[in-house]
Amino acid sequence: MSAVAAIARRPRTSLTLWIGLALVGIHVAVALLSLVWTPYDPTGMTGGRLAPPSWAHWAGTDRLGRDFFTQIMIGSRIALIVGTSAVAVGALIGVTLGMLAAFATRLLDDALAATLDILIAFPTLLIAMLVVAASDTASLGTAVLALGIALSAIVARLTRILAKRVLLMDYITAARTSGTSWLGIVFQHVLPNIWPTLSVNFALQFGLAVIAEASLSYLGLGAPPPNASWGRLLQEAQGTVYTAPIGAIAPGIALLSLVIGVNLLADGLRDIADPTRRVSR
Amino acid sequence: MSLLTIDGLNLTIDGKPLVSNLSLSIGPGERLGLIGESGSGKSLTAMAATGLLPRAILPSGSVTLGGQQVIGAPDRVLDALRATVAAFVFQEPLTALDPLLRVGRQVAEPLQRRARRDGRALAGAALNREVLALLEQVALPQPERIARSYPHEISGGQRQRVAIAMALACRPQLLIADEPTTALDVTTQAEILKLIDGLVRERGMALLFISHDLPVVAEIVERVVVMRKGVAVEAGPVREVFGAPRHDYTRSLVAAAKAFDAALEGTP
Repeated sequence: MSAVAAIARRPRTSLTLWIGLALVGIHVAVALLSLVWTPYDPTGMTGGRLAPPSWAHWAGTDRLGRDFFTQIMIGSRIALIVGTSAVAVGALIGVTLGMLAAFATRLLDDALAATLDILIAFPTLLIAMLVVAASDTASLGTAVLALGIALSAIVARLTRILAKRVLLMDYITAARTSGTSWLGIVFQHVLPNIWPTLSVNFALQFGLAVIAEASLSYLGLGAPPPNASWGRLLQEAQGTVYTAPIGAIAPGIALLSLVIGVNLLADGLRDIADPTRRVSR
Repeated sequence: MSLLTIDGLNLTIDGKPLVSNLSLSIGPGERLGLIGESGSGKSLTAMAATGLLPRAILPSGSVTLGGQQVIGAPDRVLDALRATVAAFVFQEPLTALDPLLRVGRQVAEPLQRRARRDGRALAGAALNREVLALLEQVALPQPERIARSYPHEISGGQRQRVAIAMALACRPQLLIADEPTTALDVTTQAEILKLIDGLVRERGMALLFISHDLPVVAEIVERVVVMRKGVAVEAGPVREVFGAPRHDYTRSLVAAAKAFDAALEGTP
């Protein structure tokens, strides 16, 4: 890595990280704030119906006259919880399965790979709906679990192929020769080396999970009311999008800024985790 | 008793033979060269010797490493065996080191494992000292700076020295060097060869040196096995095999090397 390239990368790396941190930080702060304070009672009818933004209602009111900004604040809580936990569930199942496949005998590997391909062929949402339908009640927990399972197939396939590539490296053979166990290989060499790519994928999936939760909520399979998820706000605004466009724009901006923030943050963190991309000392 | 004995080894993939009926043995302190063109099964033989073959390749016959049958042995047994008996140095020094770990950390890993096996604790300053001592032994300049570097921050020759240091860290009885100089430029090649030669002599290690480069092999080993298309076509002391090659293939190898030397001398 030449010094010039390292210097050229310097502003980009830190800027990516800082913008990502700022965007995610704002959302986390708002979500935490919503636990103790919101401008209005989220279920209270506090103004005229479908009022445009004003000093009293920063994002206007919905069709029942509830303050929209309050609901978006609460929605960021739901989005963060659903996004992180669904990705965590997906990562746990996916990475475990993918690693197993990478290390498995050829027969087991083929079987796992075929199963994953079939799972990926199904739309994420469909699998999630199936999981929710199989459980008794719709709640935030089942939605998270369903999305996590649906996302895990993609994680598993990615992990499998990345791990296989790392396993071909001579340093793995060298480590094996010096007596490192399989588990040692996984935690010492394979996971750290595939992590940069995986983490960027997790960031993408965070966005997918938040959007998928919105769709589940719309179908009545997600977080039940009065949990104001952004997805539900978007769906409710659907009918009045021409008369009160702010109802669609405000949750849209919230969703967009969170997803972009998480992606930038993941990019920045990857640059830190990978010494070959790091700014030279 | 010999360190490594390979007897009638066959390697097949999907029923196709890769190595057929190969036999060789290396005693303590002996140096054996394994010669052949790429694809002749040299590296696979080395992998089979330590039980590290890719799963798709099926071995049969007998491989005994340090008195333990390798073929069919469970990983648990082999893990312990490999660490104390044999260590590898590879062709490509870049992939031989984990890109995400500092050099010092990578060298410390096998050192610690070896210490644990010997029943002594090795950590902190003592570990640091041993890492630096090892880097010094492979003639790395500024070992402290190298130990703090990542693999991409040092040169190819230096990476190969680090790889050798890692192999030595296990204090193996047998060093398997798989084309360790092929990826390096000529000056660095000579230095690395000298280093391996000196270290093997100094520590009384056995050496299995795999290469397609006749002059290099002749310089560093006592006996050679010539392989072609998975079959050992000729074996014996270096001087006999290269001085009076019996098999056509060996003869063509030697002739090619001689022609190359002559061509070099003809153009000053």
